Amino acid sequence: MAIRVFIADDHPMTRAGLVAALQREPDFEIVGEASDGNEAWRIIGETVPDVALIDIRMPGEDGVGLARRIKESGLPVCTLMLTSYDAQQYVMASLRAGAKGYLLKTASPEELARAIKTVAKGGIYLDSEVSRVVGEQEIVPESLSNREREVLILTSKGLSSKETAARLFISERTVQTHLASVYDKLGARNKTEAMLLALKYGVMTLEELLE
Amino acid sequence: MKRRLLTVLALAILLPSVSVLLAAGVGIYQHRQAIRAVARTYVQDLAESTASRVEMGWGLTESLFTAKPPSRFWGNRFFSQEVGIPGWIAVLDAQGRVVMSTPGAQILSELWRPQMPIGEAVETKNRAGEAFTVAAYPAGDTGLFVMAAVSWKELLGPMLRFGLLLLLLVGLVGMAGLVGVYLLWKTVISPLKSLEAEVSSLEWGKDLPRPHDEAAVREIGRLREEFFHLAQTAIDRSVLWKRYALDLVRVQEEERARLARDLHDGPLQDVTAMIQRARLFAASEAAEPEKSVHLGLLEESAQAAVREIRALCDELSPPWLELGLTGALTELAERLSRHLGLRIFVEADSGVGDGLSKEKVLALFRVAQEAIHNSSRHGGAAEVFVRLFRDGETLVLELEDRGNGFNLPEDLTRLRLQGHRGLANMEERMALVGGDLVVESRLGEGTRVTARVPVS
Repeated sequence: MAIRVFIADDHPMTRAGLVAALQREPDFEIVGEASDGNEAWRIIGETVPDVALIDIRMPGEDGVGLARRIKESGLPVCTLMLTSYDAQQYVMASLRAGAKGYLLKTASPEELARAIKTVAKGGIYLDSEVSRVVGEQEIVPESLSNREREVLILTSKGLSSKETAARLFISERTVQTHLASVYDKLGARNKTEAMLLALKYGVMTLEELLE
Repeated sequence: MKRRLLTVLALAILLPSVSVLLAAGVGIYQHRQAIRAVARTYVQDLAESTASRVEMGWGLTESLFTAKPPSRFWGNRFFSQEVGIPGWIAVLDAQGRVVMSTPGAQILSELWRPQMPIGEAVETKNRAGEAFTVAAYPAGDTGLFVMAAVSWKELLGPMLRFGLLLLLLVGLVGMAGLVGVYLLWKTVISPLKSLEAEVSSLEWGKDLPRPHDEAAVREIGRLREEFFHLAQTAIDRSVLWKRYALDLVRVQEEERARLARDLHDGPLQDVTAMIQRARLFAASEAAEPEKSVHLGLLEESAQAAVREIRALCDELSPPWLELGLTGALTELAERLSRHLGLRIFVEADSGVGDGLSKEKVLALFRVAQEAIHNSSRHGGAAEVFVRLFRDGETLVLELEDRGNGFNLPEDLTRLRLQGHRGLANMEERMALVGGDLVVESRLGEGTRVTARVPVS
């Protein structure tokens, strides 16, 4: 059965390009298009697609807000963010809002197809041009201790070391020690990379992040 | 009234002073005339009555001039020494020899003038210059004369002195008033007027008033000095402001030039290349391989153009500022740590930047950008700690490094004058959004920049 895809983008040329790319593959069925956030929300409600391709910057409600609304509504729709911004914090914001993937508009049609198929199957897709670290060579990460995982999850949710320490009844210094150990085990240089790599290696699931 | 207060004030002192002085002058003159009239009448009456008594030959002559005369005559009081004689009487014969006289009447010969009119009082002076009024009367046809004299000093002395003294005092008060008006005009009114004229005609930020006014009282002198100081400050400020404006224009022009250069060297070349490839593709009638080469290169140019334009956008005004302060600072830290090769730790309490206006987010973002660049460029720091937290209703952004540090000048504007705009810019940016900036640094001990801004 074909994957039912919805496209929201305020730029008509981009939309036409995406439609053209997806129509070449029999695996996809385009169930709707929208040029702003509010229209997109209405059509998603009506069509309930398998995958919604959403531009981050749109008139009306923006992409991150729309992704959060879809998550909160409990609709069985996987959101894939599609944008021209290569800032990792957009990836973080999108994932925290419940998106399953993030893709640059300059990605090839093959990559687009792969991304849609990945999220439709319940996976996470991160564009390697944005999240360079996830495109780097694969390692088998050393397993994290429970405490390290707890620290990583709270930090990924956007809590500061102080807040994490208070939540776990440990000292701030201990939080930082755990984080340093997590970075080391995952090969990350900062919190963002640690979170992306943890998702990539399955050390942390998207559900844990959204809890 | 209020507008001409100083003139009114001067007149209020001047006019009474002048009238007091005039009144005193007139008073002195009239007082003198009155004294003179009193003395004349007195002497004339004295001489006349004595002369008539001598003429009648009442036989009193002897007793009249004895030291202890019979008491029934009023004149004896007059002639007795004990009372203190204000005048003298003498009876003279036709040759001017003294026939009889009251004690001390020798003075009369001193006052006698050959041409002295008979029956009329005259003023005269003795050798010591004391004033007297003298009158001579013939005693009928006895051939005798009665001469009477009174000393102004003795008869009218106290009256004269105190009356005159009073008038002189009044006159002095008048004079003091005039001197007061003169001093008031010279040291207060005139300096105030000239200061006022200078203030009203002064072009602020351009002209300087005279720094001193020697004639003015100290308070006005100080006022002038303060004013001079203010005008000097205004000039300094306008110089600084001009330099600041020039700075702004220069920076803006530099930015534009750089932007134009970047657009020209980057995206413009790429898009030109794309057009060339598209034309080559259309023109090539040849086989597929050639066409796909053109297409491949076209896509490559387009990708390059996208990357360059994206980088330009990020540099000009990062779109990810819309992710909020924490997101923007995290993104900035990760990017700068890659570009500058240092470790940047961002610690932000969750929701710390919620409700912050875009202007404040941008200001704090630029401060962080500048501070991290400074830590790397000037401080040679390997690590920068960025902390973002709330202090009541204030949002605090703290950037700390353990780099070289530097010795801070007291005034950041001085750095600007020396061409170092960074710190002054940061300070101004914070001030513009109602916040402030504190820079703490010491040579060899690292630097801490603290930006504080009210949340709402």
